[in-house]
Amino acid sequence: MLTENDLSRYQRQILYPDLGEKGQEKLKQSHVVVAGLGGLGCAASLYLTCAGAGHVTLIDCDRVELSNLNRQVLHYEEDIGEKKPFSAARKLVKLNPAIEVTPVFTKITARNGRSIIKGANLVIDGMDNLKTRLIVNKACVAEGIPFIHGGVHGLFGEVTTIIPGRTPCLACIFPEFPNRELELPVFGATPALIAMLQVTEAIKLLAGFGSLLTGKMLYFDGDKMDFTFRNLVKNQNCRVCGAQRV
Amino acid sequence: MSIKIKLHPILQKLVGGQEVVEVTGHNTGECLEDLENRFPVIKQMIRDNRGQLRRYCEILVNSKSAYPEELTAPVKDGDQIDVTCFFAGG
Repeated sequence: MLTENDLSRYQRQILYPDLGEKGQEKLKQSHVVVAGLGGLGCAASLYLTCAGAGHVTLIDCDRVELSNLNRQVLHYEEDIGEKKPFSAARKLVKLNPAIEVTPVFTKITARNGRSIIKGANLVIDGMDNLKTRLIVNKACVAEGIPFIHGGVHGLFGEVTTIIPGRTPCLACIFPEFPNRELELPVFGATPALIAMLQVTEAIKLLAGFGSLLTGKMLYFDGDKMDFTFRNLVKNQNCRVCGAQRV
Repeated sequence: MSIKIKLHPILQKLVGGQEVVEVTGHNTGECLEDLENRFPVIKQMIRDNRGQLRRYCEILVNSKSAYPEELTAPVKDGDQIDVTCFFAGG
C-alpha cells in the first residue's frame, strides 16, 4: 500500500500512465539484488533506490580503493578501505529511508550463488568479470529469476535482459569460463549510462509494462556515439539453460 | 573465395575503423588467420598465448554461434563471420 509520503515522493513517475500507482506499488513490493558495487552497481542501486524499489540487496566482496572513485559514485574518499556494500548502503538509506537496504559483503561463488539471490524478483549485473557473471547467470536460471546483464569496456557497453526459460542466457553466448581476465579501461560515464539502461529495464520488468531487451544485445559505442542491436540465439545445447543442462 | 568478417566495435579500432573486412579461407580459423596476418594487433585481443580463441570472444557464422567449432567451422563464398567480444568491465 502506498503511503502519503510515497505518493508525494514518486509523484512525477506515477504520472507516467503505464506506471501509475499500481506500478509504483509493484516496485515497492519488489526485491532487487545488485550483484557488484562498482561503476554499474553503484549507479544502478542509486536509481533503483530513487525509483522506490522496496528492497535492494547489495553484494560485493571488495573494499573501496582510490582508483574506484572515477566511476563508483556511492563511494567517497572518506570511505577508502570500507566494505563496498556498507559504504553504498549508508548513502542509499539516507537518500530514501523508506527502502530496505541489505548489504552483503561476500564473494559470489558457485556454492553460494543460488542462496544469495533466492527469493529476489530480479538480479542486476554490476560485476566486473565474466566468471562471476556466468555463476550468477546459472543461479538465476536455476531460480527462475530475471537477470539484467550489463558490461562495459572503455567507452563501450552492452545490455541485455535474460528471462529464464524465455530468452537465451549468458552461457548460450559465452559458454566457458575465461582462463584469465585483464584489468579493463573504464570511464565513469560509460557504466553510468549502461546502468541507467539496466534500471529502465528493471522498472519496466517489475512494474509490468513496455518492451524489454530480451533476445537481443544492445551495444553502445561511445567513441562513435552509436547504438546497435544484435539478436541473440538460444543455444539448444547450452549447459545452463539447454538440453545439456547440468 | 570471399568471406566477410564483421568485427565487434571494440575490434574495429584495430583495423582502422572498418566494421567489415573481406578475407579468404575455407573455415573460420583460416579466415581469422588471414585477418590477423593483415592486422597483427588484433591477434592479441582475440587469442591467448597458446593461440586459442579467448573465451570472452564469440564467433558466429551467418549469425549462428560456431561454438564449439569456433576455429574449424567451414565457410563458403558469401558467408559472414561475426567476431564479438564480451564487455567484462563493470
